[in-house]
Amino acid sequence: MSKKENDKFIITVKSNTKDLFAFTKLIPNRKKRFQKASSEPITSDPMNELARKLHPRRQYLIVSEIKDETKTTKTIKLIPDPDSNTKELAYFRAGQYLSLKVKVNGISITRPYSVSSSPSEALNGFYEITIKKVEDGYLTKYIWDNWKINQKIISSEPNGFFYYESLRDKKEIVAIGGGSGITPFRSMAKEIAEGKLDIKKMTIIYGSSEEDDIIFYDELKELESKNPEKIKVVHVLSCEEVSLEGCEKGFINADIIKKYTDVNNSTFFICGPQIMYEFLDKEIEKLNLPLKRVRKEILGQIKDIVNYPGFPQDFAGKTFNIKVHVGNAIKEIPALATEPVLVAMERAGLTPPSKCRSGECGFCRSRLISGEIYIIPESDKRRAADKRFNFFHPCSSYPLSNLEIKVPRDA
Amino acid sequence: MNETSNIQKINDSYDAIVIGAGNGGLVAAAQLAMNGVKVLLLEQHNLPGGFATSFVRGRFEFEASLHELCDYGSTTDKGGIKSLFDDKFNLDAEFIEIPEAYRLILTDPGEDIDVTMPFGIENFLDAIEKEVPGSRNSVKNFFDLGKDILHATAYIGKSRGNPDQKVLMQEHSNFLKTTAYTVKEVQDALNMPEKARKILNAYWVYLGVPTNRVNFTIFATMVYLYVRRKAYVPKNRSHEYTTALDAKIREFGGDIEYNTKVEKILVENGKIIGVETVNGDKIKTNHVISNASPTLVYNKLISPKSEVPEIALKEINARTHGVATFVVYLGLNKTAEELGIKEYSYFIYNKGNTEELYYSLGKLETPNVQATICLNAAIPDCSPPGTCIISITSAFLHGVWDDVKSEDYFELKNKIAEELIDNFEKAIGASIKEHVEEIEIATPQTFARYTGTYNGIIYGYEPEPWDSFIPRLSCMKDEKHIEGLELCGGFGMRCHGYSSSMKDGETAGLLTLQDMIQKGEIKK
Repeated sequence: MSKKENDKFIITVKSNTKDLFAFTKLIPNRKKRFQKASSEPITSDPMNELARKLHPRRQYLIVSEIKDETKTTKTIKLIPDPDSNTKELAYFRAGQYLSLKVKVNGISITRPYSVSSSPSEALNGFYEITIKKVEDGYLTKYIWDNWKINQKIISSEPNGFFYYESLRDKKEIVAIGGGSGITPFRSMAKEIAEGKLDIKKMTIIYGSSEEDDIIFYDELKELESKNPEKIKVVHVLSCEEVSLEGCEKGFINADIIKKYTDVNNSTFFICGPQIMYEFLDKEIEKLNLPLKRVRKEILGQIKDIVNYPGFPQDFAGKTFNIKVHVGNAIKEIPALATEPVLVAMERAGLTPPSKCRSGECGFCRSRLISGEIYIIPESDKRRAADKRFNFFHPCSSYPLSNLEIKVPRDA
Repeated sequence: MNETSNIQKINDSYDAIVIGAGNGGLVAAAQLAMNGVKVLLLEQHNLPGGFATSFVRGRFEFEASLHELCDYGSTTDKGGIKSLFDDKFNLDAEFIEIPEAYRLILTDPGEDIDVTMPFGIENFLDAIEKEVPGSRNSVKNFFDLGKDILHATAYIGKSRGNPDQKVLMQEHSNFLKTTAYTVKEVQDALNMPEKARKILNAYWVYLGVPTNRVNFTIFATMVYLYVRRKAYVPKNRSHEYTTALDAKIREFGGDIEYNTKVEKILVENGKIIGVETVNGDKIKTNHVISNASPTLVYNKLISPKSEVPEIALKEINARTHGVATFVVYLGLNKTAEELGIKEYSYFIYNKGNTEELYYSLGKLETPNVQATICLNAAIPDCSPPGTCIISITSAFLHGVWDDVKSEDYFELKNKIAEELIDNFEKAIGASIKEHVEEIEIATPQTFARYTGTYNGIIYGYEPEPWDSFIPRLSCMKDEKHIEGLELCGGFGMRCHGYSSSMKDGETAGLLTLQDMIQKGEIKK
């Protein structure tokens, strides 16, 4: 059907006349199709609807119950605020956190809290978070003094990557928790008990400093006794006097882990305070685990940054000036070298976006116009191009000079 | 409104506003800013790029959606995108050549194709002749047609859309005579052997329409450009060039606001008068370029509704929305070499019949279609030593995911991801599952979440012959319904794909500029 002319290939698809006719009819036919089509507007968009359900930018909640777990710990039950547009709670994966936006003494801050209730409970209309009162804690003191039933709270969607992933993790998991780091594991254990998390066994190794600091003691015991095949709880107590039976003494270490778990056949989930990570990192190293089998929950803001290995200690005590561009506004604010840029902004009454406060989620991504910053190498989860083009995450960056930065408006 | 909004104000008037910092919007904004237009680019997410982005999990940075950039080319055979980046914008971004065109594996018994095709027209012809003796001539003719079409479109472009009919008839008859046809119709006329078609048409999935319906013109030029100019990927993922474009827009004097979703495009008496954002901004402008699709613009954004022309809705309803994709991103703790993964780009289908493949995307189960890439095959150090990055992409027809409930969502996506991994392992005989260190799974919901694209669609309207880029470009003036409004991107005039979207953004920028000059709003 094709021929060569002057060495140039000339196509004939149907026939010369038909091909050219088809070309000339192309636009008229197009217009006809349009004329014939419906003029009904499209009103549904199921994928954006599902995105809003799974990942609402904000969830408007109220406190419906406050329960004392220990002398320093409360579980706070959150339900949709009936006066808001939040009618249902976003589903999540056990282990994820909510970033709460809280106004403390007139200043807006965010804090990530693991959800301690199970995902199916979110479908039933509530989340629980379990908060430990921190000594000299800015936020927790405020919560203890002020939060009552019906307190309104703004939350993010569920966030984070600290969850069991069947395509990556072993069927046996070891959950190492310290203090309030038990919260995501309560969520996971509840989901296992509900038969909804498909794993063979979860061994919880839970470190507490005193017996009466153990959070969810009775509840964990019940989960264990009702699911003896699947859930095992080992308490590790660091206090001198221990009356609990069957617990380990001291800190969670490699020997304790080996005693209770099949090390080479398990994925390890670790969640606890910074001080536990510092100790545990060395113990985990002894187990020679590939990175894929050690999942660590993010820490939040690093405490005592001055003594953090690698932090330029001679900057301790120094104060700098940050020129912040937000929208059209320019605000000059003071900032301590030992405080993340995000905290300086919040203190100054700005409301920059933030969620994880650990460098991981990138929600606070901002542009460094000029100046020097220190970024904790372990928390530097920036994209390669962001490093090249001077974007940074204020939640995990510390000023080492006066800075000029452009921060996105709050979403 | 939050209480600090008083310090979060932005300017209340711009010469032009670009909605969406995807491929089209970024280039449109850069084009306008370069010409001194006071332009504001608004993006709902906190990053530039739209689909052209990346994300970090653990020690891996994953490319979100790009497989390979078409029409980039080398310094000696520069493509449209390289010209745009290097010559027009002097963009600070590095691109790496991909080693081979693709490896095609058809897995059903009896299909019997496992072939790796090289770049370069002559190399490709040699390889296909070896696989399918006697096919060389028909495939060569296919490429020649691709080349002729490019000449013809270059001529039409130069004529500013008013080509001399005589010149078209005499010099570009190959273009005229194929424009109204599908790939199948032309390949039938070329007497191309069935097996050669299966090999050559492996690229069908990049347009997402089977060969009996996809327009020949767009398919032939795409395949020709890939094979002739090779394909490229950004060295530091797409986030690098999109961030470079962000920097360029600001350098040219343009403004960008992230976290700022446009809620309304304000129209009065058929003319653009401004936009409103969810942040409460009301910004005056006479010119809007929307990277958001016509589907969103006419069904959702234009306000008041009485300003939506009926014909605009008819145009959308007459078209077929393209596919949404499903991607499994894997960070593996073994090297590609250790895993036996040699190629960059794998097309793995159960059959060679694209019509059947297309219909397999219409069910809520694992499709028999995957386009898988191993980034390390092009960029060995894209992940830490001892590791590699693989991403498996499949697709679903518009609407397939519509009834998925949030409580079933995670289980469903994991099931499909697992089967896609199984299919990849079986097809190439590698074992990767036990080496998964990081995994992320993106579904149509995910793409909707991060970009707001209508129903999670990543490809634009299906380019059948009547709605491929030639008819769309030809009808540009007739199908412009609101004064001061241009559209660009994957649902735009050049149909979908990274290169098309960027070129479309450039066109939208130039059209807006022309309009402003004509109206005396800016000097030439």
